[in-house]
Amino acid sequence: MKVYECCGVETLTKKYFCPDCGGEEFADREISDSGTVYSFTKIHIAPAEFAHIAPYYVVLVDLDEADCKVTTRMLEEVKIGDSVTLDKLEHGAYIYRKV
Amino acid sequence: MTKTYIHGIGMTKFGSLPDFSMKDLLLKACSEALKDAGRPKIDAVFVGNFLGGSISNQEILGAIVANDLGLGYVPSTKVEGACASGGIALRQGILGILSGEYETVLVAGVEKMKHATTADVTQGINAAMDTITNEKSAGLTFPGFFGVLANRYFYETGATKEHLARVALKNRENGVNNPLAQFPKPTTLEEIMNARMITDPLGLFDCSPMTDGAAAVVISRKKSPIHILASSQVSGPTKMQDTKNLLSIPAIGESGRIAYEKAGLGPKDIDVVEIHDCFSMTEIIAIEELGFFPKLEGWKAVEEGRTKVTGDKPVNTSGGLLSRGHPIGATGIAQIYQLVRQLRGNAANQVKEPRIALAQNLGGTGSYSTVHILERV
Repeated sequence: MKVYECCGVETLTKKYFCPDCGGEEFADREISDSGTVYSFTKIHIAPAEFAHIAPYYVVLVDLDEADCKVTTRMLEEVKIGDSVTLDKLEHGAYIYRKV
Repeated sequence: MTKTYIHGIGMTKFGSLPDFSMKDLLLKACSEALKDAGRPKIDAVFVGNFLGGSISNQEILGAIVANDLGLGYVPSTKVEGACASGGIALRQGILGILSGEYETVLVAGVEKMKHATTADVTQGINAAMDTITNEKSAGLTFPGFFGVLANRYFYETGATKEHLARVALKNRENGVNNPLAQFPKPTTLEEIMNARMITDPLGLFDCSPMTDGAAAVVISRKKSPIHILASSQVSGPTKMQDTKNLLSIPAIGESGRIAYEKAGLGPKDIDVVEIHDCFSMTEIIAIEELGFFPKLEGWKAVEEGRTKVTGDKPVNTSGGLLSRGHPIGATGIAQIYQLVRQLRGNAANQVKEPRIALAQNLGGTGSYSTVHILERV
């Protein structure tokens, strides 16, 4: 996946202006999808549009190759510190799996 | 110093109120506040509301108040800031007075939620997240965000689900004594710990409920015994993956810092507190962010009972969102209602002669926060 950087802050989404320097120039680079589970929750009660897949896990992944996190969905049980990677993109969501 | 004073308060019972429409609740709270203030001439109306359009198909709440209460051709405005809609509406009223445009303003908050299904309300509430993101697509929800936060908090501090349960238990104990609270029934630590899971590790009692209810206040440039010492509002991160530190909600901390600076006070000066415990975890983060306890040690203060009515920093003597209930747009005003009662000396769970009170109202997962500091003069 791609990350954007300005003033040492890396984010997954490109912003219009850097909150630190106000600049519009962002460096971007491709990084590996792999990362480590920073934290997670198991969602039992889901909004209407996700009710059919509940329970599912929403997992905040600390990416290995950037100072940046990504919010993902997983179907298998996880714990903090597990190694994970991208399984597929599905309707705009990053679906991750354990490695 | 805002040199703005509170003259009247009103609040409906919070809970499941199938016999009352959103309009009924709003008008009831407003008329009570107007009577409490001695029926002054009102120069403007601000109404905090979040879901009226999406689940009740009802907007123009400001004009409804002005018209049905016979306030005349005064300007009226609906204010939306997710769960901070009430706090932001109050601040808009204060700013209107500070600008010199108005002398006396009616501020209200209302929500009607119990007639809709949980799935539809959860969907509606999700509008308070940045919905065009990979996070929303992943299925993240509000309780989901605080579940992720709680698991990391446990990992870094040694706190456990029992500490969350102690927050919920304290707020229920307070709510039981508040006749306007949604949940009058006492509970136990065991019942809270064993309740069904919503978003791990948050169970049913860790999450604020769906609630019908309204609250209102009348504020004025004219003096009264309750002075609004400070009003602050900030915006914060709208996405979980962009937070620099998941265990901090900077909007809460920053709104607190600005309010303390405006008031010329610090956390130690605050006698009684209403904070935005949308989840038990949020109360622990908020008591840290507002400087009442050190960062990552709020759970210890809970364990030691320091936030109980009998503690040195009483938090949510109303029962908080968890037990008083959380009619979204009304919550920020209901906090003020409880604090005014505390400063007047006739509150549920009255603390001993408080002089300075603080209310903190959160919107989204830290997207908005307001802080108001009140002083008995």
